[in-house]
Amino acid sequence: MCKNMPPLELAIQFHGHVCPGLLIGVRAAELAQKHLDITQDYDEELIAIVETDSCGVDAIQAILGCTFGKGNLIFNDYGKNVYTIASREKGRAVRIAQRFGATAFRESERFRQLNRKDSLSEEEAAEKENLIGVLFEKIMTMPPDELFAWEDVEFKVPDKAQIHATLQCADCGEGVMETRSHNTEAGILCTPCCQKRGGEAGV
Amino acid sequence: MCEANIYIDRGSGEELLMEMVDRVIPGEENNIFMESIFGERRVVKARIREMELVHHRIILEEIKEAAEVQTMEIWLEPDTDHGHFHEGEEVSLKLLKGYNMKAEPAAGFKNTKAFVTNGGEKTELHFHEHDGDKNLIMGQETEGLIQVYAVDEERLYAKLIVEIGHHHHHGLQPLGLPLEIVPSSYSHARMGDNYEIQVLKEGKPMAGVEVRATYAGTHNRDYPHHLTTDSEGKARLYLTARGNYLFTVSDEGIISTFTLMKSF
Ligand SMILES: [Zn+2]
Ligand SMILES: [Zn+2]
Repeated sequence: MCKNMPPLELAIQFHGHVCPGLLIGVRAAELAQKHLDITQDYDEELIAIVETDSCGVDAIQAILGCTFGKGNLIFNDYGKNVYTIASREKGRAVRIAQRFGATAFRESERFRQLNRKDSLSEEEAAEKENLIGVLFEKIMTMPPDELFAWEDVEFKVPDKAQIHATLQCADCGEGVMETRSHNTEAGILCTPCCQKRGGEAGV
Repeated sequence: MCEANIYIDRGSGEELLMEMVDRVIPGEENNIFMESIFGERRVVKARIREMELVHHRIILEEIKEAAEVQTMEIWLEPDTDHGHFHEGEEVSLKLLKGYNMKAEPAAGFKNTKAFVTNGGEKTELHFHEHDGDKNLIMGQETEGLIQVYAVDEERLYAKLIVEIGHHHHHGLQPLGLPLEIVPSSYSHARMGDNYEIQVLKEGKPMAGVEVRATYAGTHNRDYPHHLTTDSEGKARLYLTARGNYLFTVSDEGIISTFTLMKSF
């Protein structure tokens, strides 16, 4: 590993391929860095709330260091390319929303078409490669305000991720985090076991 | 059953192009349109060589357009999957011959020589031949910015710049090849950079000449990028692919390449 990998390369390495969605996430992460004057997360200093679970989120994780595992990546399943990035240290948050139709290029539609195919001929593989090249340049060189609308937002910074006790499930014997366990007549149960007994799945 | 499988000969034997074809229509400009019973449609530039109707085989022979006639060129590649060399690491390069960064082992080298220049001094390098590969090994003492070039058939040139260790800001001198591609500023090239090169013919900027560019592992059969130099002999390319890039220029039988090493 070589240190000082630029954001774009970090994101591509993390995500595994280059696609328009990832690049939009790279632009969003870089915009957040510039707007909030931040770099990468250390010790849950940054929090990201993402409203999509598609490719772009990987750029947020790789570049800003807000990850699912650390608990400073919050996913709201709204199906929107919207990223809210908050900094505890700066006491500020910015909400970045992709503008509707901003990346509706002629090449995007054909790219999606080829992307849906299970296998590509050599010609199609070349075509897809050339399309991603064109889209790459368009997305990465677009003025930020054509790609996004952003604003400072009020943001109540949640407490840092808590470490909860682990209890043992009476049925399967596996460990389950206390706040996700179900206290039933049959004893402490994990959610899958509780569901098997026809209990409510409330999480 | 009246469908046929279509095979195409692209110069290296027959290969299956399309299965279960039920329509074949020869069109303008050597185009042959075909459609399969599955609705797949394709157009190729070819002529029909043979129709073996009993065996449901149609054999096409590809017609290479004038622009697609592939002339062989040589280029240098770093012999590392790491993309760059660190101080103390053995610097090892490969010389390849082929087209569009796809090596053609059958092409064969003729009167091949290689040289290294490090701060003005030029030294001839000797090839280590191994399984038909031509390798240049420069040892571990090398550091700074070094330029390596090779010449084959007295008209094919390949150049590569190796930066060992980081942040070397030496001025980069042209090597004085009859036809040469020189990067405008040698910094670490990255994806998303607008990379500028200059073409020199006998040391003078060459305006209005075509520079082709490609990158390692492209699926394109021909060069994906075609640039034209401006009045200062310069051209720019926005780098969007991973891995190394190759820039190529040709003039009066001379073909000169420049390999741009990228770490990623
Ligand atoms: Zn993706
Ligand atoms: Zn259980």
